[in-house]
Parts: sequence; C-alpha cells; structure tokens
Amino acid sequence: MIAENTQTQMRKGILEYCVLLIISRGEIYASDIIAELKSAKLLVVEGTLYPLLTRLKNNGLLSYNWVESTSGPPRKYYTLTPLGTAILASLDGTWQELSFAIAKSKNQTNL
Amino acid sequence: MKKTLNINIGNSIIHIEEDAYELLTNYLIEVKQHFGKSADDFEIVSDIENRIAEMFTEILHTQQKQVIEREDVQVVIGLMGSVKDFEDQSDEDPANDYTNAYASTVRKIYRDTDEAMIAGVCSGLSHYLKMDVSILRIVAVLSIFLGGSGLLAYLVLWIAIPRALTRTEKMAMKGEAANLQGFKKSFEEELSGLKENLKNANEHLQPLVKQSGNFITEFIGILGAFLQGSGKVIFKFIAVVLMITGSVLFLSDVVALAAILGVGYSGVTQLFPFNIVNGSYLTIFSISVFITIGIPLLGLILLSVRVAFNSRPINRMVSYGLLLIWLCALSTGIFFVARIGSEFKQEASFTQNLSLKTFPVYTLEIDRSMVFSKEDSLRYQLNSTDYVGKVIQKDSGRSNNAPRNVTIRIEKSDGNVPSLVESYSSKGRDFAAALSHAKNIRYNFIQKDSLLNFASEVRLQKNEYWRDQEVELVVKLPVGTKLRISKNLDRYLRGYSLWDCDDENFVEDRYEGVMTEEGLKCQIEKK
Repeated sequence: MIAENTQTQMRKGILEYCVLLIISRGEIYASDIIAELKSAKLLVVEGTLYPLLTRLKNNGLLSYNWVESTSGPPRKYYTLTPLGTAILASLDGTWQELSFAIAKSKNQTNL
Repeated sequence: MKKTLNINIGNSIIHIEEDAYELLTNYLIEVKQHFGKSADDFEIVSDIENRIAEMFTEILHTQQKQVIEREDVQVVIGLMGSVKDFEDQSDEDPANDYTNAYASTVRKIYRDTDEAMIAGVCSGLSHYLKMDVSILRIVAVLSIFLGGSGLLAYLVLWIAIPRALTRTEKMAMKGEAANLQGFKKSFEEELSGLKENLKNANEHLQPLVKQSGNFITEFIGILGAFLQGSGKVIFKFIAVVLMITGSVLFLSDVVALAAILGVGYSGVTQLFPFNIVNGSYLTIFSISVFITIGIPLLGLILLSVRVAFNSRPINRMVSYGLLLIWLCALSTGIFFVARIGSEFKQEASFTQNLSLKTFPVYTLEIDRSMVFSKEDSLRYQLNSTDYVGKVIQKDSGRSNNAPRNVTIRIEKSDGNVPSLVESYSSKGRDFAAALSHAKNIRYNFIQKDSLLNFASEVRLQKNEYWRDQEVELVVKLPVGTKLRISKNLDRYLRGYSLWDCDDENFVEDRYEGVMTEEGLKCQIEKK
C-alpha cells in the first residue's frame, strides 16, 4: 500500500513535468496534450487533465489563447509563461539529479 | 423513430437524441458536483464541455450523421472518464492521498457484469472472497435444490450489491488500487484483450461461460421482444379470461350473500361452517365478508376490462371510495373473527354413565340408516365400493352441521357390569357458556338387546352455534365379553384399529374380538 502511494506520488510529479515539457515545445491544444500523454501511457481519461491544466494556469505557469477552429468552437491553446519556463528549467535540473541518483543507486545495488 | 433535442454545448449547436441527452445531462451534473468543491470549477467544467462539444462534432463529421446517439455519449464519457475516475487524480493535498490510497485498496464488493452468467453476483463474490468463480456457481446451483434458498439469496444479493460500472469500481472489486498506475494496468489489460479479441477482453478468457451468458442475455432480449409484440395478444387473452372468472366469482359472492341473509329461508346458516357465526352477528359479518371479497374481485374485473379493451381507468374518487369501503369491511370482518374466536377460549365437559344390559356377546354398529351400504351403492348404480361405509345425509332434516365430532373407545370395565360413559364437551366464551353448549348436545345411542347402535355424529339443536362440540364414548366391558364390531365403526375408534387383525377375524363385515385383561384383542391372534 505504501509502495502504491509512492508510485502515485511519483507519477503525479512526472505527469506535471511531462505536461510542462509538451507545452514547452510550442502552443498546443488540450486534446493534443492528451493524445501525447496517452501514447506515452501516462494518462487514461481526458477528464483528469483539465483540473491539472487549470491549476498550473492559476499558479501562473501557463497561459492560453483562444484560437478559432475550422470545425466547431474556438479552442484554448496553452503556452508556457516566463515563470513556467523557469520552473521547467529547475524541474529539468531536478530530473537530472533524480535520474542520476537512481542510476547510481541501481549500479550500486547491482555491484 | 426517436425524439431529438437541440442543445448548446460549448457554443456549438448539437442535435442529440433524448436518451443520449439524459445520459449526458447526468454526466455533466456529476462533473459539476465533483468540481464544485474547488474554486476553479467553472473553468474546468467549461473546458470539459468544450471538449465534449468538439468530440461530438468530430463524431458527426467522421460518421456522416446528423444526430448524437446514446452510444456516442457513452464513448465520449469513456474517453473523458467518470467522476469516480477523477477523484484520485484531482487531490492536491498529499495527506489525502494516503487516505485515498488506503480506501481504494480495500476490496469492495460489486457485481461483475463483464463476467456474468446472469447478473454477476457469483463473479462479484468470487473477486471479493478470492475464490474460483466456478466453485461459487456450483454451490449456487446446488443451493437452489435446498428449498430454493439459493435462488432467494441470489435475488437478495442481486438487489443489494451494486454493479461495478466505472473503472474505479471494477478495480476496487478486484482489490487493485485506483491510482494512475492501477488505471494504467487495467487499461492495458483491456487493450491487450482488445487486440486478441475485438469484442471483449473476457471473451477469450472464458469462451464457454461467456457464450452461455450471452445465451441468457439473448433469451431475455427475445422474451422481451416477444412480450412486446405477440405478448400483447396473450395479455389481452389473459385479461378476458380473468374478466370472465372474476365476473363468475363476483356473481357467486352475491348469491352467497343473498343465501346467507335469507332471501326466503334457505337454512344455509345451520350448515357448517356458517353455524359458527352467532345469529346476531350474521348479517353484518356476512356483509363485511361479502365486501372484503367482492371489491378486489370488482377491481380485478375493471382492470382486466381496461387491459382487454384499452378503456379509460375509472374515476379516481370512485377507486379511493372503494378502497375506503374495502378497508372498513376488512376491519369489521377482522373484528368479528376475533370476537367469534374468543368464543372458543374456554372448554367445558361433563360425563354421564349409562349401564348396559349384560350380554355375553355385543354387536357394535354405527346407525345403519346413516351409512352408505353395499345395497345402497347397488340401488343408486354406483359401481364402486368406495362409498361403502361412508356417512351419508338422510333427507329427514339431518344436516351436516359440524366436522367429525364422535369418538369411541372400548375398554375393560372395573367390575362385572358393562357400561357406557358419555363425555360431552364444548368450547365457549367462558366456562358457563361452554357448559351450556355441551348440555345442548344431542346424541343418539340405542341399546337394542345385544346391539349397541351409535349415531354417526353429534347434532346441534336449532339456534345452536358450532363451538367445537364433541362426544367421547367409552364402552366398558367385563373381561371375556365378546364383541362384533361393524367395519364402519373403525373410523370412530380411538386407541385401536380393526385393521391390525387378520382377515379371518372378519365375519360378514364384522370384526370379532374379545375383551381380555390387557384390553381388546382379536378373536384369532395374528400369526
């Protein structure tokens, strides 16, 4: 049970990191984010992404523009704010440290 | 043909079928309620609505159709995920995650309709108890033969246990944690299942079970279609039959009331079981019984008329009125039943001794004139001995006014004097009443030389009510006295059966026995 909880925490952090990474590549529409996350097998249902995006936006990491769509209503396209870019950079650093730590730990145990 | 609605969702106008609309509305209400807890609810909900609208337009575009159907809504909800799927994701407080993780790993009981034979009770239980489902099914089928208890238990569980609908519930049923990892696992399971079999992941796991399950589902579907179509004809036929039966019963109810209340004097009130009811209660009691039976019959007739001829239901005021009258009649009836029942509270009996003239041989007989004899059956050309020995009614005013109420015992007398002890007993409101009923019993016993002639039943006097009046006769005979007992007396004998003796003891329909120190014995002992 504790293991599962740890997994949840890890996945949660990584999900946020991945969302930021995907958005950092340029303006992107929510359902395209979902498609990418789904292909990465990180997300199952779309409904869970919207609360996350809203939270990131409210924290000032994201902003969005309304873009007219050829089919249907205008869409929200998300971009990173300068704050978001800064946080992503620090997250990159953290990820490097983490993957180093894990690689190191694994090698140690393998020896 | 289906009714469609126009809805405005996410600033798009969508044509949607009515049942699909209901499903969608329920879903959106759930979503709103879920996100209403947080401050950003409006934005999240409108994001979700926009996305749903977009999915709808995509569906309409790619499938080249005009209207969103229920299946489309189901697909969209599946992609979006249900509210329960959101719950474990949207928590931002890490403290909550512990409780959630804890809650979701606890195995919960649900019905598993994916692997169901009927309603998924057994498969759901098998997940919960971690047992093999086939064992549970065998137990369930066997328990049906234990007085149908299994069937009842199944129905109760069917009603009591909810069906696992969302992925979260399905995972809780299998005891998996409902977190992202768990979701992924179950999702991947489904995906890999889909690859192997396009229809259903479970189909390749349990082809046989699923097939028979499909059969049952199909069977129910066919039955439903049958009832909708040709079933209507059958319903109408049943309605007509019910209408006719109801009318006949109602008519006999009316006739019975008329007979009891004495359209003229019918004498029916002297017959059992009508003679239980006190004369003073009779009118009101029989009217209340008439209404208690009659109104439901009337309701049955009206209902079947409605079904058979599609006529309008009767006026609401009239039906409430009838219900009210019925309740009044029912309570009156119950009141009198209780009242009459209280007249059976006390029992009283008294005994009288008759000395018999001494003879070495006695013949015991039930009054011949009341018994259907062989000669009678010949006379009435009844080709059967079935009737022989049965008590019949004579024309001379005798009425069948009570159930069996005469018993005869044959015992050894204390001295050398033969005697007959007659015990009259009856029930009543109190002891005095019971005793007076007992005193009013008329019973005919005649000794004609050595012939002891017993009447076949107690007769109630006119204006006496049946209060379980009984007569017990004890014939006390000195040791060595011989007896010839008529066969038809056997049914009145207590503590002894003539059939215990050999056939050799019977001479012309009479059994021959002898009184010994140990009581009545057969003349010729059984070998």
